[in-house]
Amino acid sequence: MVALEARHLTKCYYSTVAAVSDLSFCLQEGEVLGFVGPNGSGKSTTVKMLTGLLEPTHGQVVSRGARIEQDLVHYRERLGYVPEEADLYPFLSGREYLELVGTLRSLPRQSLERKIDAMLDLFSLSAHRHSAIGSYSKGMRQRVLLIAALLHDPALLILDEPLSGLDVTSAMVVKNLIKKLGEQGKAILYCSHVLEVVEKVCGTVIVLQKGRAIAYGPPSELMKTAGQASLEHAFAHLVEGGDSAQTARDIASVMSAA
Amino acid sequence: MILTLEEPQRSRWESLNENGFYRLVRHCADRVFYGGDGTSCDVEMGIGAVLAIFSTPGTFAAVALAVKYGTVFHFLRNEAHFNAYVASFPDEYFFAVLSMTIAGAVAVWKWDSLLPDRRDHANLAHLPILGGRILVANLLALVILVVIVAVDVNAGSAILFPLIACWTAPTIGYIVVFFFTHAVAMMLAAVFGFVAVLAILGILMASLPYRVFRKCSVYVRTTLLILFVALLMTSFSEGGKIETIHSAVAWTNFPPPVWFAALCQWLRGIDNAPFPALSLAAVLGTVAVLVIATGAYALSYRRCFLRSAETMVILPAGGGAVAAHVLRALDGVLLRGPVQRGGFRFVIKTLFRSETHALTWIGFTAVGVMIASNDLLLAGSKTAASSHVPSAVVLGLPLILTYFLMFGLRVAFEIPGPLRANWTFRLGVDPGTRECAALARRVMIAFEVPLLAVSLVLYAHFWGWEIAIVHTLLLAAMAGLLIETLLLGFRKIPFTCTAPPFKQTTSVAVILDVLGLFGFSAAVPALERHAFVDPLRSATGIALMLLMWWVCLYGTRKNQIEPERRLIFEDALPPVLEVLDLTFRK
Ligand SMILES: Nc1ncnc2c1ncn2[C@@H]1O[C@H](COP(=O)(O)OP(=O)(O)O)[C@@H](O)[C@H]1O
Ligand SMILES: [Mg+2]
Repeated sequence: MVALEARHLTKCYYSTVAAVSDLSFCLQEGEVLGFVGPNGSGKSTTVKMLTGLLEPTHGQVVSRGARIEQDLVHYRERLGYVPEEADLYPFLSGREYLELVGTLRSLPRQSLERKIDAMLDLFSLSAHRHSAIGSYSKGMRQRVLLIAALLHDPALLILDEPLSGLDVTSAMVVKNLIKKLGEQGKAILYCSHVLEVVEKVCGTVIVLQKGRAIAYGPPSELMKTAGQASLEHAFAHLVEGGDSAQTARDIASVMSAA
Repeated sequence: MILTLEEPQRSRWESLNENGFYRLVRHCADRVFYGGDGTSCDVEMGIGAVLAIFSTPGTFAAVALAVKYGTVFHFLRNEAHFNAYVASFPDEYFFAVLSMTIAGAVAVWKWDSLLPDRRDHANLAHLPILGGRILVANLLALVILVVIVAVDVNAGSAILFPLIACWTAPTIGYIVVFFFTHAVAMMLAAVFGFVAVLAILGILMASLPYRVFRKCSVYVRTTLLILFVALLMTSFSEGGKIETIHSAVAWTNFPPPVWFAALCQWLRGIDNAPFPALSLAAVLGTVAVLVIATGAYALSYRRCFLRSAETMVILPAGGGAVAAHVLRALDGVLLRGPVQRGGFRFVIKTLFRSETHALTWIGFTAVGVMIASNDLLLAGSKTAASSHVPSAVVLGLPLILTYFLMFGLRVAFEIPGPLRANWTFRLGVDPGTRECAALARRVMIAFEVPLLAVSLVLYAHFWGWEIAIVHTLLLAAMAGLLIETLLLGFRKIPFTCTAPPFKQTTSVAVILDVLGLFGFSAAVPALERHAFVDPLRSATGIALMLLMWWVCLYGTRKNQIEPERRLIFEDALPPVLEVLDLTFRK
């Protein structure tokens, strides 16, 4: 069943240049959809439209047969979202923040507290659960964000660069978790520019460039059509970004210049 | 026993906490209190301490008035029928000013965290919360905050002042009426002060583009602070004049605090001619600011908060070409070495661009300007302009400005910037460097020199070059000594160190600073003025004074031990037990 559908999404900020233009895709239940593209290609903009934080200039986001604006509250009850920036309240402790989010989501208190403690433990944050978030490192904040998105067992997960700042172990845990949740039948949209992870985790991939989808399909197929051995090479082939080896040589020569 | 008492209460608390809306309101109250950018300015003060600070001025003022209402005083003034209601009018005016300015200042202080911001949008907007819930929750939190501030600011004075004023009162009822009328009027004044600031904030935020708003917000805040200081200063001198309001004058001729003092009197049944109209102004004024603030708040919520994802925060940065030229020129004359050159740019940019820091030094300078102009006005009305020599007051003006400007800069240096960015300096600066005080000194000099130049030109214009040059030289010498005094033991790069803890000695230091101001800006100019008339004796006096100052400074510096000079990034109280460093590292 279709969990989320984007129809001809277009977003122009103040400038007339579109950050995202005419983007359409379907996210099925049990599907992990990868969203890749260079910096500034419009991934986060798309995600914000999908969560209802940003109003599309054209097009619509449809969930369960209705446009999401028609019942944002119910839509968001089913949604777990990890934003690209971990801009959390520095004066709350990690536990207090999660308790706040859970309460605002009207989760029953008893099970909420049990869940929070278990999650903090599993994400190795329990030693710091009572310290202020202001003193957390980037990776710790990111883990708090992840827990906040998972607490209510959402049917739809939208993750914008969820691994940023995470150490290897935590990143592995999250990668496995995404796979597992996909198998459980949850619909997951995974945004990233780390291609190795996308290749391993996602069943389908959309490649964005300058706000347009330039490829859409399973990673294996993208590699086949591009005639490359890995998604990274296929990506480099698809996205015109100049010659990276040449750029590296140029940087080195600027560095050593007097 | 205790357990059975506690159980039902606790569960009621918990069930309240489970309520999403209640939790949201509590969160909004928290974010107003702790708000702003938690990373930059970690002032570790509990709510209790803050509340205590706000209620102190009113309490002190009430105690200070005890003399006026004491029986001895009545006896001396030969007043058989002392009417506390009538006699308290000027004091009620003073309390109204105090209440309004403190509440307004709280709003200016909390300026950035009063309305929901981008962080709230990032954290709350994607949760399943009904449309206007955040708006209403934050509004409720603001209402609670206003009430707390209004009660707290007046708590001390509302209890003490009626007792003191009605010491000789005939009945308890008399005191009770006094208490209620005072409390109602003063709390209303506080609400007016706070909400008026909120209304200005809301209007600016709703009408200006976000970037423009951010850019001008520091100026608006300082202007408001200056207004409050001005209002407070007039209250000392205006009190006497207020006593004589009897004729019917339009309410617009009086500043708002008079409305509330009049309301207080009117509630007590004194209806002198202007009181009913002024009382009406007080009530309608409060209602008006409430309505305007609520409207502007709702509008700014729609325009700014809900559209947070649409707007990008690109704050204007990057000085003009002129600034770059000036800095390059300074590299030649004033700045030596990488720490000074790099640090100077960093410090100047922070002082102008960081709102907290700009507000601090501009605020201090503004107080100086207020005091200086007040002195000038008072002196102008008293002394006939003795043409060829400026009066001591006039000579003291640039000294007052210097004192406050330097002091404000010194305080701003202590306020930490974003400490997360500290690694730049931890990594790049030699920890054994002695350049910190030198850097801070140069920044202060860069601010002082324009002041000297302006005063030289102005004195020369009014009193000729001779006096101007002598006075400017003296000014420079004193500014130099002041800078050195302020920088005694300074061993940080400004803004990169954690905030200093509150030490026992802090309060002593504050008292010394106030005394210092008088010595600095009053005593020396008085001597100097004599010196212009009778050069020999007074000039020697001045020279001796400055020499003594210098000797004290020199002695203190000499006595500093090596660890007291090392660069620090964390300001902590010295440990009770200190470990001797016996490794003989060089
Ligand atoms: N609030 C905004 N206002 C104006 N332009 C924006 C805003 N947010 C993003 N953009 C622009 O839209 C483009 C896409 O940005 P974004 O969606 O953040 O890319 P990505 O997440 O793929 O790195 C970029 O060119 C960016 O500069
Ligand atoms: Mg992004």
